[in-house]
Parts: sequence; structure tokens; C-alpha cells
Amino acid sequence: MVSEPTVQEKIARYLQSNLPRARNLALSDFVHSAGGWSHEIYLFYANWTEDDRAIRQGLCLRKDPGAGLLRDLSSLQEQFRVIKALEATAAPTPKAYWYEEDPSLLGGPFFVMEKVEGEVPNPWSRAGKQFYAEAAKRGKLPRSFIEALASLHNLDWRAAGLAFIGVPGGGKDFALREIAKWESLIQQSLRKPEPVLTELLMWLKANAPDARRLAFVHGAYRTGNLIIKDDAIAAVIDWELQVIGDPLYDVAYVLSDLNREGSPLLSCVVERDFFLDYYQQLTGIEVDLAVCRYYEILYMMRSTAFWLSASGLFAEGRNRDLRLARTTYSVPVVLDMAAKALGF
Amino acid sequence: MIPAKQLIHEIVTSLREVIAPAIADPYPKAQAYMAAVILEFVSRQVEERGDIEEQKQSVMIELLRDLSRLPGMSRLVRGDQLSEDGLSDLIGHLYAERSRLGEETFAIANRRVREALRRLLDQDLKVAGKTEG
Repeated sequence: MVSEPTVQEKIARYLQSNLPRARNLALSDFVHSAGGWSHEIYLFYANWTEDDRAIRQGLCLRKDPGAGLLRDLSSLQEQFRVIKALEATAAPTPKAYWYEEDPSLLGGPFFVMEKVEGEVPNPWSRAGKQFYAEAAKRGKLPRSFIEALASLHNLDWRAAGLAFIGVPGGGKDFALREIAKWESLIQQSLRKPEPVLTELLMWLKANAPDARRLAFVHGAYRTGNLIIKDDAIAAVIDWELQVIGDPLYDVAYVLSDLNREGSPLLSCVVERDFFLDYYQQLTGIEVDLAVCRYYEILYMMRSTAFWLSASGLFAEGRNRDLRLARTTYSVPVVLDMAAKALGF
Repeated sequence: MIPAKQLIHEIVTSLREVIAPAIADPYPKAQAYMAAVILEFVSRQVEERGDIEEQKQSVMIELLRDLSRLPGMSRLVRGDQLSEDGLSDLIGHLYAERSRLGEETFAIANRRVREALRRLLDQDLKVAGKTEG
């Protein structure tokens, strides 16, 4: 009887088909990563010989699991195109190699990119917080954190071919588009109405700020989504929330309490005043703290949308990962933060 | 929130089908299987809390009573809004009718709604908060 090939064997066959000159191709250090809630992630090294040369290449495969956190708002093809487009810019990102639409190969679309060497300490863990706090004292990583963000905001997104992800109109259009996107995820996920969330959404729509300029925005710029090597940002990862929009949207995410849980440092790594000064110096963008505060509240709505989606997928039996189930208890906690921000 | 019994059932399944089989060491493996067995018994001892829904209901009754006394609000307040679904609709209508109501009435109604929302949220935080308030 012929047994079904393992995921590792299937990936090796796929790589071989894309590397016709490779001989004796084999995978090593194969890990199915527990990180990430939206996609399945496999990390490994591909080893082969080509023209009598031994080659060893670290790779990362990101696969659509079918029932990920962002449901139908997630597009692996878009992520691949974004990473590919960023290769020609100053933004530190992995190289993108292949995108595969055919679900018969691994059970869903996937893409393969470079595995950038470095580490991604988990900022929610005690060890991670300690790592970032010590790096903050040395001073190099906080600067690199800001420089990498500035490299995204300073890039010419039209010239880089990134307009395909959608360009908002002027004025309040960017904020209203973001609200509409996350409201649609809420509609897909909600099992029972949440009146506090309704009030939050209505307030956000009634108070949307104008975007003074548009930039390429990561959408989740924080430690945990950055590969670090030698106290510097080696790559910005987790490309699934990017938009063309108000750069203050990213600034607000850095400023947000959502990303530092008990740490006095923004994103557990950078002091607030230094972040604001150095970011403004590198980008020439004036940070309007009132607008950032608005976006921080928008992020609380977005987090609620994520947790409703995650716990909904679990409750619907579409995803049995217990990490998703845990988020059912996160919904009132984030709504509590939003309610306090709105004064009730 | 996901019902407690459904969550326990899924944790039991995960312990049996994902966690325990992946453990090589016999002692923690036995602990994982035993945790599943015990959780099945615990599930029979657990009942969903009824007090939270009762408290929420009385918050909404008081809210609708107060709102219906405000000028121009009677056509927005309906008896079937005594649910979180109905309350969400009411909030939407309040914002939609803001200019008709006028800023003063809107502000009073919105403040009263938010006061009720705070009390509803506090009920959910009895389960989801760090400690029961």
C-alpha cells in the first residue's frame, strides 16, 4: 500500500518542480510553527546541489488554512504581491519566491518566501519583555524600530506598484474604509449582538478624522511582527493588514496600550518621547496626537472584530485551535478599554 | 461568549486527540488523559450563570423607561428592544436621528445609553475580567 506523502514531502516535490536545475533536493530543520493565527506557517531549510555547488536556503511557507482569523478578508496572493513589490524598496522585508493557487498541492493556496535569519521574541511573554527591555537599554533596537517604520512611510508606493491594494479618496475616506472593512468581519462573525460595539462603531463613524496624507501603512507594526538580528530590524513580517492610508494609523498602533501590556515602553521597546521625536525627524510627518487617539480607539474595535471572528470560528466548529476559543473572554476586556476611552 | 459546556467539550477533545497523543513521557501523558476524564465530570457539575442575564434585563428595562421620557424619543423606543439585539438597533437609530432630536436631547439620550452599556459590560466582565467585580 502506498502511504499518503507527508506535508514535508509535498513541499519538497513542489520546490523541486520550481527548481529544475536542483539535484538531491532535501528539506531539513522542518518546523510547523505555532505562531500566527491567520495562516499555517512552515519553516525549513532547502538543501540541494546545482552546478556542483551545495546550496542551503532558509524558507518560510505560508498557507491558507481555509478558516483563518480574517476569514474572506485575507488574500495570500495580495500578501505575496506586496512582499514582492517591497523587494525593490528600502523596507526590510523577506524575498518572495513563489505563489501557488492550486489547492490540490497542500490543501489550500500558499506562498514561499525567504526565511530571514534572526529572532522574533514574543512580546507577551516574560522572556520576550525582558529581551526587548534589555535591547531598549542598549539603544540600537529602538532606533532601528523607528527607522524601519519610517522606511515604510517614506517609500513611494505608487512607484513601487502598491496601488493595487486600494487607494482611498481624500478626507475621511480612509478611516471610513477601515471601519467598513472591520465591520464586515464583525458581520461575518457575530453570533449575538454587542450593543457596546454598536455604540463604538457609531462613534467612530461620527468622528472619523481627515487623512492629511497617504502612505504605505503596515497595519500591525509592533514587536512580534519584526525579525530582529544584532539589535536591528532584519525584516518586517506579517503582511496581511497593509493598506494605503494615513501613516498616523501605524503611529497610533505603536502608541497603543494594546501592544505593551504592562511595559512602560511602546511596543515594549521604545520610549514614547524618543519615538515621536525621531519618527517626525525621519519622515517629516507631524504627529497629531488627537488623530492618533482616534485610531487607537479604532484599533480597539478592530481587536474586538478579530476576537469575535476567532471565537466565532471556534464556536462554529470551523477551527478547533483552543487559542481561538480563549478569545471569547477577550471581547469584553477590549470593549471595556474602548468604553473607558470614550468616557463610560 | 461561547457556552461553558461547549468549551469544556472541546478542551476534552483537544486533550484526548491533540495534547495527550503528542506527549511521549508516560507521566504527563497520563495526566493529560486524566484531565480529560475529570473535565467530563466537571462538565456535568457546571451550569451557565443565570444572574448575569437577569441583571442585563433589568438594566435594559430601566434604560427604555428613562429614554421614553425624553422629548422626541417615544417613536424610537420599542418594547422589543429589551434585548441586546434591540438595544443595538436603538443605538443605530439614535445616531441616525441625531439631527431631528437635536444635540441636547441626543447628548442626554447617548449619556443614558452609555451608562446602561457600562452596566451591561460590567456583567460580562464578571466572567471575562481578571476578578469578578
